[in-house]
Amino acid sequence: MKKIINKPENFVDETVEGIILAYGDKVKLLNGDKRVLLTNQPVKEGKVGIVTAGGSGHLPTFLGYVGQGLIDGCAIGNVFASPSANKMAEMIKACDYGSGVLCLYGNYGGDTMNFEMACETAEFDDVTTAQIRVRDDIASSPVENADKRRGVAGLLYAYKIAGAAAEKMMSLDEVVAVTEKALANIKTMGVATTPCIVPEVGKPTFSIDEDKIEVGMGIHGEPGIEVRDMMTADEIAELVVGKITDEMPLAEDDEVSVLINGLGATPLEELLIVYRKVALMLKDMGVTVVMPHIGEYATSMEMAGLSITIFKLDSELKELLVSPAATPFYTNLNK
Amino acid sequence: MNYESLKKIISGISDIMTENRDYLVSLDQQNGDGDLGISMASGYEAVKNYVNEAEERDLGKLLMKCGSVFNEAAPSSLGTITSFGFMGMAKALKGKEDASFEECIDALDAGLNKIMEKAKSKPGEKTILDSLHPAIEALKANKDKDKVEALKAAAEAAAQGSENTKNMRSVHGRAAYYAEKSIGTLDVGSVVGKLILEAIYKSY
Repeated sequence: MKKIINKPENFVDETVEGIILAYGDKVKLLNGDKRVLLTNQPVKEGKVGIVTAGGSGHLPTFLGYVGQGLIDGCAIGNVFASPSANKMAEMIKACDYGSGVLCLYGNYGGDTMNFEMACETAEFDDVTTAQIRVRDDIASSPVENADKRRGVAGLLYAYKIAGAAAEKMMSLDEVVAVTEKALANIKTMGVATTPCIVPEVGKPTFSIDEDKIEVGMGIHGEPGIEVRDMMTADEIAELVVGKITDEMPLAEDDEVSVLINGLGATPLEELLIVYRKVALMLKDMGVTVVMPHIGEYATSMEMAGLSITIFKLDSELKELLVSPAATPFYTNLNK
Repeated sequence: MNYESLKKIISGISDIMTENRDYLVSLDQQNGDGDLGISMASGYEAVKNYVNEAEERDLGKLLMKCGSVFNEAAPSSLGTITSFGFMGMAKALKGKEDASFEECIDALDAGLNKIMEKAKSKPGEKTILDSLHPAIEALKANKDKDKVEALKAAAEAAAQGSENTKNMRSVHGRAAYYAEKSIGTLDVGSVVGKLILEAIYKSY
């Protein structure tokens, strides 16, 4: 293992310390707890709180989306591991501004069980909660078992829509409804070419042969749909856009947003080469792209590869997508 | 039930789990990973320590905190399920420093329902529910009788319910991988339920 760290066991704490030293005017810790990050910017009284949680190792997912127009709090777990229910419960209570809290997170076993428990605790203290699990990864389970799918880069779009809806002072029920509408129209699939190393493990937990590509691999290295011979950028774009549009057909005059997400070790140039092909394919279909996102939004340590997310818009979703948002790790003002 | 009787019950459950730690480990090793005896003993011990030191007297708040203390000390599948049980009871007893026998039965029922809801499980699936469910049914049926007699009936129903899991097929957890092989073996979760009822009965 060749990582620029101090001690593997301090990986998460020291990352969070760096974040506070760098961006302490924009985000803060809950009572000094390095496992709960909250926004440090003014929040409108009576706004619905939006929170998330998840393991470390995916920056800017999850905590990077704490900020204006996005989410209000994030509980932080160890690398690839859920934070505890107690941390989540404290966060939920801290992010209740009087109109309830939406817990919006990826569909993973540990996060689900802990959020279920955290919501019980918060409800006992009279905080109204709602939960939405993001399941945008179409490769993680077939369509007939779509409720088992995992949440990946599409989480960003979910945070964006829920955050903007809350900012517009929609009620908890309304925020839930519009976020669920968005998620029905957000589909992602990824490919990976090299594995990642969890610091405390010290070596890759899986391998991908030099001349192969894993199609549909998850952001923790969960096996994908198939292992293929290495593909070109155009072939990857054709394959993934094909799988997504099989499930979510696009027609002339549709509007979509496209997210090309690097997993950590793939250069921006390569992401743009893939975007080029996706944009050309969509143009041929007569589909317009609104506010494309190309960069690292949900990584997996030093894994190489990328994912493509297509978010089909209607006028309401488009308005929420383009409304301004800014965190230390994300802004749509430059898109 | 008030703070003092809750303290006595929790302490009794903790003691019985500690006494049966190795027995539970050996049962769990048949179809699971063997940590169940350890997680139950350490979970209930943590809850006992919390309740003994607690200044809170609201039964709901006490049980709610028991749920989170248990989860921190025993973050296993049955540990999480147990925490949900505490939390379900907590909601039913919120705001009460003293609860009647009937209110306690209702709270146990609420705890059982919370477990079924969160674990998406029901009696007959070779789990802890197979001892808890018949026990709570027995309590409901005997609620107008003498308390000790009702608790005795519940403990017997739990023991019989646990015994009955030998004829069941596992559908949850790692044991489900050995679904067919699981027939004939006692479900370790149901034994935990039996021990809980035994401890409650003995504490009266």
